[in-house]
Amino acid sequence: MSISKTDTTGAQTVAPATIASVRGLKVHFRSKAGRVHAVDGVDFDVRDGETLGLVGETGCGKSVTGRAFLRLLPVPPGILAGGSVMFRPQTSCGGCGGEGCAQCGGSGRRPTPCPTCRGQGCPDCQGTGAETLDLLKVSDKQMRGIRGDRIAMIFQDPGKALNPTLTIGEQLGEVFLQHRSVDLLEEAGIDSGESGFQAGALRRLAGQRDRRTDRMAAALWPPLRRRAQSVRQALDNRIAAALGETQIPNPRNIMRSYPHELSGGMRQRVMIAQALACDPDLIIADEPTTALDVTVQARILDLIGQLQAKRGSSVIYISHDLSVVRRICDRVAVMYAGRVVEIGETDQIFNDPRHPYTKGLLAAVPTTRTPRGKLAAIPGSVPELVDPKPSCRFADRCAQVHAACTASDPILSAVNPGHDVACFLEHPTSPKTEAAE
Amino acid sequence: MTDMSRLPTPEQASEAASGSVLSLRGISKHFPIRAGALQRVVGHVRAVDGVSFDIRPGETLGLVGESGCGKTTLGRLASGLLSPTSGGSYFNLDTAALSKLNAAYALPEDARAAALAPLEAAHGIATMPKAAQSRFRRNCQMVFQDSFSSLNPRHLVIDIVGRPLRVHKEASGEALTERVVELLEQVGLGRQHLYRYPHQFSGGQRQRISIARALALDPELIILDEPTSALDVSVQAQILNLLNDLQAERNLAYLFVTHDLSVVEHMADRIVTMYLGRVVEAGPTRTLFDAAAHPYTRALIAAKPDLAVDDPQVAKFAALDGSIPDPARPPRGCHFHTRCPVATPNCGWELDDIVRLLERSEDLFESLSDVSRHSDFAGELAFEDEGSAERLAQALRSDATPASMRSAMESLTVDGRTLRVRFQEVGEVQLSDRGPDHIAACVIKDA
Repeated sequence: MSISKTDTTGAQTVAPATIASVRGLKVHFRSKAGRVHAVDGVDFDVRDGETLGLVGETGCGKSVTGRAFLRLLPVPPGILAGGSVMFRPQTSCGGCGGEGCAQCGGSGRRPTPCPTCRGQGCPDCQGTGAETLDLLKVSDKQMRGIRGDRIAMIFQDPGKALNPTLTIGEQLGEVFLQHRSVDLLEEAGIDSGESGFQAGALRRLAGQRDRRTDRMAAALWPPLRRRAQSVRQALDNRIAAALGETQIPNPRNIMRSYPHELSGGMRQRVMIAQALACDPDLIIADEPTTALDVTVQARILDLIGQLQAKRGSSVIYISHDLSVVRRICDRVAVMYAGRVVEIGETDQIFNDPRHPYTKGLLAAVPTTRTPRGKLAAIPGSVPELVDPKPSCRFADRCAQVHAACTASDPILSAVNPGHDVACFLEHPTSPKTEAAE
Repeated sequence: MTDMSRLPTPEQASEAASGSVLSLRGISKHFPIRAGALQRVVGHVRAVDGVSFDIRPGETLGLVGESGCGKTTLGRLASGLLSPTSGGSYFNLDTAALSKLNAAYALPEDARAAALAPLEAAHGIATMPKAAQSRFRRNCQMVFQDSFSSLNPRHLVIDIVGRPLRVHKEASGEALTERVVELLEQVGLGRQHLYRYPHQFSGGQRQRISIARALALDPELIILDEPTSALDVSVQAQILNLLNDLQAERNLAYLFVTHDLSVVEHMADRIVTMYLGRVVEAGPTRTLFDAAAHPYTRALIAAKPDLAVDDPQVAKFAALDGSIPDPARPPRGCHFHTRCPVATPNCGWELDDIVRLLERSEDLFESLSDVSRHSDFAGELAFEDEGSAERLAQALRSDATPASMRSAMESLTVDGRTLRVRFQEVGEVQLSDRGPDHIAACVIKDA
């Protein structure tokens, strides 16, 4: 991804404000009862440096949407039925070397120029000049390079997401070995031009491609052992630094411990350290605080916020907890039954909700104001998503249902600048005329 | 935990004129820690340590705390699923019996047994006659957190909900079916659900089945152990409304165990806050939310994200440092002093706090070779070299150590490789009155 100076300026002029955009994403699952439309036509953009909240009830497809970014879906039974997830990877700014300057808006990063047009704008990158990848179509090898490096994920249950048989240091080290082996070799003083068995063995050891002979040589042959140890040292330094950044006290001790020896909050910190290790452009946080106590949750949310502000990365925050989302997100997308029903700025969603489902969700949260026994529950439950009919998915639970709702699908369209709703109450025009337009 | 100053004073007890459904007095549950080939008992985890409170008829008592503070264990003790290590629980006390019980616990320990004997025989859960025990079991039901594991996957709904009726020989045959249908209709299900298995229901519906089962014998008290923590907000709202309607209809008392403060604020009349097996504060819901006396309760409330706050930027997260200490070796004095933002020198600083500090620093802990204790408050720490001892002494005198901990140190001397420390000795912090029906265990009295 090396680029010349001219490319830098070319890309800068057409810097897109979005880092990822999801268009018509459809993920279906095959089941005995039929095809489950878990995610059925989801559209949203993730702007550069923002925190986008993805909220909804269990089974509304929010986790599947998040996982689609990293293609971490079981296929089969999953079917990527259509749509695209366009992602614009970034590199550190050439002007300031990641320190933050006027050219990159102080964030220290800017989009990677498009390889076909070298940042001048072409049909491949829709004229933006930035490299744009369709995450659903890139090769497995390329995807492997993106996972953990450009897009990282923080999982819900750190007890299950960490490998109980490896120490914290071993599992965190894998991220660096996979994505930063060149830097590790450089730090250990191994020249990139060097050739021969020793250099090859070291390169393989630092990239998790080691063979049995490499390991044997590193154990028995003193010169190689010394150099392998210096790579190990460089790796340990990086792991300790990554752990230290998440405010883990005494990281060198933690590195040697196993996940079961740590508390839930600590484990979640390790997960965050692992996700942030390679300074990703986009972090997908899938309910990172659900398994934690409120006091610990507050700390973890603070930590994610601080680290994000420092690095300027974007976050997709998947959660069912509306009060948390309100506190930390810039924009919110409300999902229901595999669709985005409302999307907008956090203020717009929470102070001026337009979709009956969003209104219902907000009223269902117990607050100081609601009198006892007067919680506005949404009747019924999330519908089965097996071969759904063309109608508003919320129609059978909606209090304001009318003829148009059961006849056709509402389309997400704007009610205010930046605030889109998919509801016939807001857009009474029949969808046929809308489609004709 | 024999001091009973935490009990409501007689005039407070008379305010609650209707007695109590269930009264716990100094109840403890210690789980043994076993180690070695012979599984010798090497210590005890004090899951619940001397807890007292009353549940009055028709009220909702909220029990809150972080995970690991013993609230679930306490719920199980209250329902009689676990038998306590010490202390007593008393069922169905009228006003006279309740004041007798309080009077008995106000007596010195040696005279207490005689005064308690008639109460134990009539109301004590472990000591009452068989018939009364069976009456208690009918009147005290439980709803568990995880409806997956608390409903037998091989039984039909009619068997699950009808089971209590069968056991207590309330109904059989056609009458049983009708009773079950009636119960299911009360919780928003119907006849069509009778012959289905638990896996055919959603999480919310399964929790409704659990509630129907708890209602079957028309109990006076239901212990709800995190009944909505596995549910979505919209379904949670349905369940909370249902619980409220049932309470209004049947004058049920609830012990609502939860970690969700929004839910407990909405549901509870009174709240009990627990930390490391002990009650740190108890009082009416509004009092606790508006003017909590214990810093732990304040921290819990501050950490709760609230949707009702109009400007989320104003309400900054107030987070607690550190994690819950090991319940097998709880801190002395106030259990909370290790994490307390307003700790004073009188909060029970001890030798273990130095060890906790050491664990955070990289190399000092490695060079620690021996700790010899004279008591929990005084002892010697031996290091492998003189430098480490000197460095620790410096760290203990510097700002890296909390100011209250520094002033709690009565002496700190370095003698070669050993460091002698003595902290001031303090007793246990007792619950004290803070207002009507409001008690808290904190050394700061006018917070």
